[in-house]
Amino acid sequence: MGRVYQTSDFRNGLKVEIDGHPYTVVYFQFVKPGKGTAFTRTKLKHMVSGNVLERTYRTGETLIAADVEEESMQYLYNDGEFYHFMNEETYEQVAIPAKSIADESDFLVENDVVDVLYYKGSPLIITLPNFIESEVTYCEPGVRGNTAQGATKPATLACGATINVPLFIDQGEVLKIDTRTKEYVSRVQK
Amino acid sequence: MNPVRLRERAAITRALREWFDHNGYLEVHTPTLVKSPALEENLEAVSAGGAYLHTSPEFAMKRVLSSGLCRIYQIVPSYREEECGIHHSREFTMLEWYRVHAGTAELMDDVESLLRAAAGAVDRELPLFSRRSVQSLREAANLTDTDDEVEWFRGWVDGVEPLLTAPTIVHSYPAWQAALSRERRGVADRFEVYIDGVELGNCFAEEGDPTTLRHRFSLSSAKRRQMGREPHPVDEDLLASTPQMPRVAGMAIGLDRLVMALTDATDISQVQVR
Repeated sequence: MGRVYQTSDFRNGLKVEIDGHPYTVVYFQFVKPGKGTAFTRTKLKHMVSGNVLERTYRTGETLIAADVEEESMQYLYNDGEFYHFMNEETYEQVAIPAKSIADESDFLVENDVVDVLYYKGSPLIITLPNFIESEVTYCEPGVRGNTAQGATKPATLACGATINVPLFIDQGEVLKIDTRTKEYVSRVQK
Repeated sequence: MNPVRLRERAAITRALREWFDHNGYLEVHTPTLVKSPALEENLEAVSAGGAYLHTSPEFAMKRVLSSGLCRIYQIVPSYREEECGIHHSREFTMLEWYRVHAGTAELMDDVESLLRAAAGAVDRELPLFSRRSVQSLREAANLTDTDDEVEWFRGWVDGVEPLLTAPTIVHSYPAWQAALSRERRGVADRFEVYIDGVELGNCFAEEGDPTTLRHRFSLSSAKRRQMGREPHPVDEDLLASTPQMPRVAGMAIGLDRLVMALTDATDISQVQVR
C-alpha cells in the first residue's frame, strides 16, 4: 500500500484513492459535536467522471494517496476517439480517450502545452493552461461602437468551443479565453 | 483582521455584559492555568509548564458557586488542543454562566433572551428558537439506533446537523452523553444551541453528587486510556465542593461562533485577532 493521508493532511486539491478510483478533495471541514469525537467532512470529486462523493472521516481514519504524477505535454491532434500528446523532451507520445477529457477538449489548441495527470502510470486527465488564444471561425458581424454593458453574442472558435463574446467582435479575430471560467478575456492584437 | 468585525464583536460583548448586569449576574475571574482540566474523553488540554490551560472555566466556576454566589458569569479565553477549522481555534473565547435554583428550562429562556440582546447590538433579529429532542431529530434524519459511539456521532454530523439551519435548542441527550449533567427520566438533562447548523453552546443541569461524578470521571479516564490519551488528574477540589453546591444549571457559549453567526463570518479567523 502506498502513502496515506491523515485527516489533518486534508486540503483542497489533495488526490486520493477510494475503492480503486482516483478522487480530488474539493471541500473539507473539521467538525466536532459537543461531547463527541472529531470528524472531517469532505467532498471528493471523481477525477474522470466528476461525480462528487460526500464522506465524513473520524480523526484517526486515513485515506490512501492516489498514485499520481503530472507531466507537461504538447497537444498534437485528435482522431475523434483519442487525443494525442507528446513529451517535448523525450518525444514520447500518449493517447487519452476523448470521453476522459470531454470538459477540456473544446479548449485544446494544437501545440499548446497542457499538464497530463498520470494515475498508476497511465495518462488519465489533463489540466488546460489558464489562458488560450483561438480564432473566431463564426459569429454574427461585429457592431461597431456598441459597448453596452453585458451585451453578448455567441462565437464559435477554431479550437471547437462556443463562448459568449462582446458584440463588437468580428469573425477572424483572435481571442484570449480564460479556461477556468470558459469566458472571453480580450482580443489579441495580431 | 477586519476592523468592522472587531467593532461588531465589541458591540456584541458589550450587550452580553449589559444583559448579565441587568439580570443580576456577577462577573467573576477564575484561573486559566489549572492542575486538572476537563475530564471528557474527547477534549485535549494544552499543557503549560507542568499544568494545563483550562478547556473551559467550568470546574473553577462551580467552586465559586459553593461559596454562596447565586448568579455568576465569565468571558474568558479557553484552549483546546487538536481543534482547528472554520469553526474551531486552539484559543477561543468562552462565555459561561451559572444560575442557582434553576434547571434547563430556565436556562433555555436565559439563552434565548441573551442571544436576542446580542443580535440587537448588531441590528440583527433572531427568529424564535425551535426546541427539539435528540430522539426526534435522529428520527427526522432517518437514523437507526446504534451502540457504536463513533457511528452515533457520524450520523449526528452527517444527518442531523445539516437539518438545524433555523435556530434550535436540542435537548434530552442519551444518558451516556451526560458528561457532568444530571440524569432525569433516563436522559441527560442538558441542551445545546444551534444556529445555521453550527453548535454555539451547551447547558447542563449540573450533577452535584461527588460519587456519581467520580464514577463518570473514572469511566472517562478509562476511555481516554483506551484511545491512547493521557488521563487528566481528577479535580479533588471540585469533588470536595460539590456537596455544598446548590441545585444549579450552567451554560457555555463559544463567543467567537456567536459573533460569526451574527456577522455572517464564514471562518472563525475573521472574528479573531490572529
